[in-house]
Amino acid sequence: MSVTALRAGDWLSLPVRPRSVIIACALAVGIIVVAVLSLTLGRLGIALGDLAPAILGQSTGPDAIVFEVLRGPRLTVGIAAGAAFGASGALFQTVTRNPLGSPDVIGLTSGAAAGAAAFGLLWTGILPLPAGALVGALAAMALVWLGTGRGFSSPARMLLVGIGVSAMALAFVQYVITRVGLQQATVLASFLSGSLASRTWGDAVIIWVSVAVLLPCALLTSRRLQLMEMGDEQADALGARSGATRGWVVLIAIGLATAGVSVAGPVAFIALTAPQIARRLTRSAGPNLVLSALMGAWLLALADLLTQQSPFAVQLPVGVLTAVIGGIYLGYLLVAQWKKGTV
Amino acid sequence: MEASASPGGHGGQPRSRLAALGLRLAYDHRVVVPDLSVEIPDGGFTIIVGPNACGKSTLLKALSRTLKPEAGTVLLEGAPIDTYRSKAVARQLAMLPQSPIAPESITVRDLVARGRYPHQGLLRQWTSADEVAVTGALESTASTELADRYVAELSGGQRQRVWIAMVLAQQADLLLLDEPTTFLDIAHQYEVLELCSRLHAEGRTLVAVLHDLNQAARYATNLVVMKAGRIVAEGDPREVLTAELVEDVFGLPCVIIPDPEAGTPLVVAKVPA
Repeated sequence: MSVTALRAGDWLSLPVRPRSVIIACALAVGIIVVAVLSLTLGRLGIALGDLAPAILGQSTGPDAIVFEVLRGPRLTVGIAAGAAFGASGALFQTVTRNPLGSPDVIGLTSGAAAGAAAFGLLWTGILPLPAGALVGALAAMALVWLGTGRGFSSPARMLLVGIGVSAMALAFVQYVITRVGLQQATVLASFLSGSLASRTWGDAVIIWVSVAVLLPCALLTSRRLQLMEMGDEQADALGARSGATRGWVVLIAIGLATAGVSVAGPVAFIALTAPQIARRLTRSAGPNLVLSALMGAWLLALADLLTQQSPFAVQLPVGVLTAVIGGIYLGYLLVAQWKKGTV
Repeated sequence: MEASASPGGHGGQPRSRLAALGLRLAYDHRVVVPDLSVEIPDGGFTIIVGPNACGKSTLLKALSRTLKPEAGTVLLEGAPIDTYRSKAVARQLAMLPQSPIAPESITVRDLVARGRYPHQGLLRQWTSADEVAVTGALESTASTELADRYVAELSGGQRQRVWIAMVLAQQADLLLLDEPTTFLDIAHQYEVLELCSRLHAEGRTLVAVLHDLNQAARYATNLVVMKAGRIVAEGDPREVLTAELVEDVFGLPCVIIPDPEAGTPLVVAKVPA
């Protein structure tokens, strides 16, 4: 079987994998199904027939409130944040050549949480909360970069230092919780486990714009990134300039994960699991960026649907659910890697 | 048998497509090669030998621009290699590192196709020229029937052939191979060397780092012997490889006899008295 290519004249010729295209379409359908269910299920659900007018802003009464305030923003934020986490995870895992090199494990998400806590509650008025999360994430990554002694080129060191930085960041969050009032601490606790409850259209704009800008940037690096899977030396020999590529990829991945954290809180493990599931489904190498993003979007929207509608997880922050599922997966990964000797 | 002081003999411009002048190579300021000049004969099969940690692989990295020298220059077609764009270098010079990493769940064809990167653009990622190059590379390494297998399933010998196919798909005239026979059993070592020899016969310029002196003597048209970051001898293996040299460079007392098969020098270690 040879490579299928999409061709147009002399200037365009792109390789296409039928299997990946089918999976991408299936995921897109899956996201639409979850979206429709999220809007229609439950006591306040919009009837299927009234859905189109509600989305187009033509309905009045309860449906308008359900879509405009309660569920619409939450759903759109969830989809885009999931996509951001999924793509970020794919970038990090490829650049570190290790499935554990995800923003969750290497301290980025915890750093963003610490930044959000610090600027959202402790030193209020200096920076808005999303910017605080960005500062926290960048500070955590700077610490990891310095702590390894060789930047992000050694995945093993990166993991160890990242776990340490993560612990420091969470300790700082605990400190912030002791400094603020009970009511604020409750709000913070909900944010810190990752929640999509009471999002606004403003949050949706932030995350959709971030994804719309950063995902194409990521796609532009993806061919060079793919060569880095074969080791820095081989990538350099093929002309892919591994040092510069790693720098750009890490910046884009930090941007995506931070944007996700700033609107959804540090939702655990979407970034870790989405690229891995995507890879197993496509059975192909490479960062699989688009599929990882779609998978992340579907996973987060699905998890949020479960927290809203299933009887055993009612109104839990969605991050608690993803942490339970993702935690089991992380355990499996650690055991598998331990056996292979690649931790 | 002394290393020539400057490539080209008399301090002029080197005549080879690939040459190095006054290289000083270091990792984190630990100097491995203090001052080295070498010229890679066009159309030759140059094999670099020397004891562990003598700087063989380091030299190869510098020649392929994957290691930046602290001083000196590598000249490609007469111009400093760092004045070319990275992809332009990769179209002329291909390098296979000592232990390249096979990406998870990659098929042989996909791996070989990655060698086409320097020929591709953002919008022209897969043309018929790419298809032809990949098919040709698979054929010349006898890997056509492996094309749809996963690289992880292959044996060591098959895997090395596939990696060489990836480098061939790059369609560069200069091939640099860092210890291509390491981790292979003896039959597969010769299989890889025969493949290299055939590629050389087809007109490519090869440079390889090898450990086995007898294999090096049999296949090299130009033998480069290194010790502690310096070239101590270079030239036709029949003239270069002597018992004194081996004892001096490797500290191994030996006798040299003609290889009964190829007539090239064969190093036989002496039994310690």
